[in-house]
Parts: sequence; structure tokens; C-alpha cells
Amino acid sequence: MENEYFLRVRNVSKTFPSVKALDNVSFSVKTGEVHALIGENGAGKSTLIKILAGVYEPDPGAHIEIEGEVIGKLNPITSVRHGISIIFQDFSLFANLTVAENIAISSSLQQGSTLVDWKNMRQIARKAIDYLGVDIPLDSRLGNLSIAKQQLVAIARSLASNAKMIIMDEPTSALSKGEVDILFKIIRNLQADGISVVFVSHKLEELFEVCETFTILRDGKYIGDYPAREMDNSKLISLMVGRSVSYDRLEAKAIGETILEVQNLTKAGNFKDISFQLHRGEILGITGLVGSGRTEMVHALFGLNKPDNGTILLNGSPVDFATPSDAVAAGIAFVPENRALEGLVLRQNMRDNITLAVLDQLTNSLKLIDQKRLLNEAEKWIKEINVRPAVPDMPAGQFSGGNAQRIVIGKWLATHPKILIIDEPTNGIDVGAKAEIHRLMRQLADDGMAIIMISSELPEVLAISDRVLVMRRGRINGEFMGSQINSESIMNKAFLADNKVG
Amino acid sequence: MKEWMKTKEFMILMIVIAVFLIISIGNPTAFLTTGNIFDIVKSNLVLAIAAMGMLPIILTGGIDVSVGALMGVASVMSAYFMIHVSDNIALGFLAGALSGILFGAVNGAFIAFMKMPPIVATLGTLSIYQGLMNFITNGNWITNIPAGFVEFGKTYLFDLVPVQFIFLIVMVALTWWLLKYTYWGRGVFAIGGNIISAERIGFNVKRLQFMLYMFIGFVSGIAGVVRTSIFGQVDPKVFTGFELKVIGAVVVGGASTSGGYGSVLGTLLGVVLMGLLENGMILLKIPTFWQKIFIGSVILFAVTADILRAKRAEAKRIKVDVA
Repeated sequence: MENEYFLRVRNVSKTFPSVKALDNVSFSVKTGEVHALIGENGAGKSTLIKILAGVYEPDPGAHIEIEGEVIGKLNPITSVRHGISIIFQDFSLFANLTVAENIAISSSLQQGSTLVDWKNMRQIARKAIDYLGVDIPLDSRLGNLSIAKQQLVAIARSLASNAKMIIMDEPTSALSKGEVDILFKIIRNLQADGISVVFVSHKLEELFEVCETFTILRDGKYIGDYPAREMDNSKLISLMVGRSVSYDRLEAKAIGETILEVQNLTKAGNFKDISFQLHRGEILGITGLVGSGRTEMVHALFGLNKPDNGTILLNGSPVDFATPSDAVAAGIAFVPENRALEGLVLRQNMRDNITLAVLDQLTNSLKLIDQKRLLNEAEKWIKEINVRPAVPDMPAGQFSGGNAQRIVIGKWLATHPKILIIDEPTNGIDVGAKAEIHRLMRQLADDGMAIIMISSELPEVLAISDRVLVMRRGRINGEFMGSQINSESIMNKAFLADNKVG
Repeated sequence: MKEWMKTKEFMILMIVIAVFLIISIGNPTAFLTTGNIFDIVKSNLVLAIAAMGMLPIILTGGIDVSVGALMGVASVMSAYFMIHVSDNIALGFLAGALSGILFGAVNGAFIAFMKMPPIVATLGTLSIYQGLMNFITNGNWITNIPAGFVEFGKTYLFDLVPVQFIFLIVMVALTWWLLKYTYWGRGVFAIGGNIISAERIGFNVKRLQFMLYMFIGFVSGIAGVVRTSIFGQVDPKVFTGFELKVIGAVVVGGASTSGGYGSVLGTLLGVVLMGLLENGMILLKIPTFWQKIFIGSVILFAVTADILRAKRAEAKRIKVDVA
């Protein structure tokens, strides 16, 4: 007796220390169905997948049922035994091993053997590759294959471990149109053989080609299941963006002259034809999906990623930063996304962190660091950015997320930058502290600074951007100003190629 | 070009042949004699055995700088065992192997379970094992090795092959087999390729790492006792700095220091190359300090070539699917 549903999941929640990533989510996949799981960045898709993979444990009370059997607890091994196979975006393959070994190694490991049976491994791999009907030499080293072929190897590996449901995370992100067609043909074959496929993707157009059902998540909550035939692009987008959170909009006082101009900036495999202007007193929001090239692009403005082509004009004259210190000397500051790792020396105290970028200016006549000047300088910025508690000797790692972010901002303000680039300014900070960081940024802009803010959080982009650039697949796909800035139009530009709405 | 001609091993073989030719031309009378070639083989045999223990570690991206000390302490232990407990040859080897495993396990515990960086853990134990060795021997040579063992060390098979050569062949074959035909060996490659993926597909990374450092302990133990059998005595100071040769041979043999790439054949070629260079420089009467500078440069050159290759590959990696 075959089950109609391969997987049925109810009441799944997942709480992390600072945030509830999933809140009472349901997710059901029929046997032999191609199912799309969609939502914005941070909607909870990855968390849900990792629970199914047995990597994360859900909060108590979750109900997971596979082929009619209620599953108490999943771990990476049992998840595979139950036929769930996940192809992560990075494929989790081994570039240094052959195609055959990549395909067969996990299923052979699952059998618990100690000795390698190479003949059997090749047979397993051969069978999987033949099923896919593709031509990939079994003895090639995986690292020598194109991304598309590596993807096929990843699918072959899932088949080799007898997967009954294959979850693909952004499977088409690095494939050409022709390669996507091959992938879809394979997916239809899998479907015909009763294997379910779950697609996690941002490419709505492609999803309509293969998927029968859409499950939408938003802010960690389950929005609903929708049959593909009743849906279109604009309906999906409005379901994904319906908002629960919003911040007060903070308008610019006055926008001044152009300070930075970027012309046709291009780097192969990173971004293409990027042109925009940045003005004094302005907050320029750059948004788009994760992987759209936003971070790679601003890295180019800070000497961290050398562009192939294009011009960067600072105050009208061209600049070419070889290293970040060139950019700092030119008056640019960069607050990275991962402030714990890249922005702060967590074990050092706040005083030392804030003065870290200007130590060379705080020396005495012997060119040694003048502790008194250092403390004065630190206290000046602690007051300016309003860190709580205002204790210069407290280790940076002990401050709350919002205050830690203030310290990073303070460190860069000490260099008196004219341009501040800030990547995901409020990532991992609680809601109240977010609004305060927004006010701080607005105040800095009002004092004449030009700010570039990369953000995946639409409410944040809506609240403080004077202008918004939307990136999609390495290009600027849309630009909005003032009253044009609204979530629907930004999401359309983030998800869809030009003029393909509805 | 044929596929095998593109391999690192082939490139190293070409270099070995070139070095061989240069030395032959430079000093044909001294170099191309059976005696000299035998000397090269005999003096590098121990290095080749020890390199078999180092290869799997470097394949995972780890390192063991205590290898020389492991060899030293194991040869001292086995010598004392043979002098004071039993002069049985097999038991003497067993004593060396077991003490190597024991001291290797200490390294492994710090690295696998305490998550200590391998260079720090083994640097610490390097000092401890050296101190221990000096404490036991008072820094003196052990010369009263039982006669039976000394005789055994002088045995030739078919009047031609030194008995130590058998140990080399067995250890090389064992390492090759472990790496190729056991899931432990495939796990070594998997960890070196992508440690997160290796964990995801079910390798027990901790246990595997722990066993790696026990393995090099075992191999070093055998290598140490083999050395005793060649010289008929134990010089506790001779192992100081031996780690440079072992790591150098593996790296020059094409193993990537970031893990994932390398082979038994390449490592053997690396040993041959290092041995030829050393012997050649002596025969060509190059001063010792130049020899040291040259050997160091060869190691740095090999690592640089490997890093540049990795950098080029990274630069070509596509980060964003640009429309």
C-alpha cells in the first residue's frame, strides 16, 4: 500500500538564542511530487531543510512523519536511511576525489563496511550515471568538471543512497539555460519513478516549469500551500512579502553633492555593469537576494575585490584601491556583515577596539601609544555613539548585539570617514536595538556622511534608504527613490528579470 | 599529452631524473658506484618509512612535527626492552611500535578531542619526548644492543637486499593499501577535500584523526627500530631536526599542505629527490650551510607552487551567476 504523502511535518518550531527561526511550520510532500519551498532571505527555508537533514533538532512538540511512520528524532544518518537526501548549494562533494567515489562513497559508508570494494563502487556509480542518462567519465577528478556536471554528480549520489525525496537548495543558481533543461528532464524522470523532489529556489519562472505545489514561508511562519496552476509571479511575491514588522521611516534632511560615482564596474563571476552615484547626506540602500553580488560589489569599492573593468570616481577623480588601507586613507569605512569575526577583537576591551583603526594618530613624541590620549579618544566616541554600558574597559565580546555594532561603527567613525559602507547593519540584533541603529545611521548621514547600506531586510531598506538599488544576478536590476520605494516593486526586481511580473 | 604525464608525480620524476643526470655528470666516479647508490638507499630508507606515517596526516591538512622525537623515544624504548627484558627480535620491534603508538595517541588526543592545532600540540610533545629521551639515556649512546639483533641488522636477502629493505616495502605497501582500500584511508582524503562534507556523509572525523596520529606513532616506532638495526646502536641526538626531512620529503613529493592531494608514489619520489640532493651536494663538495639553504629553498619552492595553484583555482571560481 503506497502512501499518498512521503513526508508530513507539523508543529515544527526552532528557537535560536536570539531569534525564533521557525514558528509552528507545516510541510507536506506527496510521493513523486515536485514541490517548491519559497520565501525571502531569512524566511526559515534553510532551517527547515536542516531539520529534515537531521542537522538541527526542532523544538519539542514537532511531528515528523515519513511514509506514514512517525519519526521520533532525526540525525544525519537516520535521515538518509529514511530516504531523505539533500543537495546543499555547495553540493558537499569532494573536488579531490573521482566521480565514481563521490557518487558511491556515502552509500557504501552507510552499509558500515571497513574495506573499499572499488568494483562495487564503480557499479553503483555507473548505475546512477546511466539512470541520469548523462555522459560523465567515472574516473575524472570531480574538481575538473563544470559546475553543471558536479550538480549531476550530486544528484547521482542522492540516487545511489536510495533517496526517495531529494531536496535541492538553489539547484539552478550556477547553471546555463541548456543545463537547466537537462536538470528538469531528469527531475521529471525521477518524478515518474515515484521520487519526490523539493526545490528551494528564488527563480520563480523556473519553478513554474516543474513544480506542482508551492509552500510559502515568511518570517519563520507557514503561510500556506498553493497549487501552481492557481498561482502567478505577482501572487507569489505578495504572499512572500506580507509584512508583520515595520520601522518608522526616517527621511533625509538634505542631500548634497555627488561624492562617489561608479561607472560600468565589472568583474567576471561577481558583478557586471554596475553604475551609480552616491551623494553626501544620503543613505543608499543596496538590496537583492543573497548571492546577487551585493557584497562582492561593495568589496570592490573597498579594495577587497579587484574589478576587471570600470571606473570608481571619488570626488570626481578616479581611484584604484589595491588594499583596504588605501580605501581607508581615502576616507572610506567598511563595516562587514559578520561583525563578531571581522569587525571586533572580542577579547579586547571596548577602548582598544574603538581606537584600533586610528592607533597611529594616538602616539606620543617617542612614537609609542599614548594611553591617555587613547582613553580620551575612546570616550569621545563612546559618548557620540551612545554605547551602553559606557565602560571603556569592558571586553567587546560582552556587549549585546546592538551595542557591539555601535562599537564597530564607532571604530570607523574615529577615522573620520566621508563614506560609510555597512553590510547588514542590524543582522542578529533585536528589534528595538535595530531602530536605534537606524537612527544612528540617519544622524550620521544628516551630519554629512554618505552611507551605503547593504541589507536583506526589506523593512529596514524601506525605513532608512533615500534611494534603493536592487541587484539581481550580478547586475543592478532596479533603482527606486523616495516615494517609489515600496516592498512589492523591490521584490519584483529582486526575484524577476525585467518586466516579467504576472 | 597523456593523462598520466600531467600528474604531479610525473613532474617530480622528471626532476629526479634531471638531478640524477646533473650529479652523474658532475661527479661520475663517486656517484655512479654500487656502493654509493646503496649508501643513498640505506641512509634514506628510514626517512622513507617515516614519510609513510606523515603522508596521511598531511593529506588531511594536519602536521606532526614530533615525528623525529617519536622515532627517538621509540628506539630508546625498544633498545632498553631488548637489553633488559628480552632479546627476541620480533618483540623488540613490537616494543618500538607500541611505544610509538602510545606517544602518538597522546598527540592524537590533544588534536582530535581537544581540538588543538596540530602544529602546537606536536611542538609541545616534541619537547616532552626529547626531554624524556634525554632523561632515560642521560644523552648517552646505547651501544650494548644484544648481538642477535645487531647480526639481524646485517642480514642480506639473497646476498643482495638488506633486510631493512623488506621493512620499507611492507610499510609502503601497508600505507598504500590503507589509503586505497579502507574507509579510514578514503576518509583521510575526504577530510582533506572538504571536512564539513566528510562529516555530513558520516565519517567519524574525530576518531579518524586520532587514529592518524597513532598510525604515525606506529610507523615512527618501526622506523626507529629499523634505524637501530642499521647502525647497531642508538644515538638519542640523531633524531633532532629529522621532522624537517620527513615533512620536506612529503611536501616535495607533491602532497598539498592544505590537504586532499598527495600519493604514496609521490612521497617516495620526494624521498628519492631529497636523498639525491643531499648526496649530490656532498659529492659536489658544496659547503654544509649552502646545503641547508638549498634544501630549505626546495621545500619552500614546492609549497609555493602548491599555493599558487590553489590561488589560481580560487580566482577562477564563480561567485555570482551573472545574468
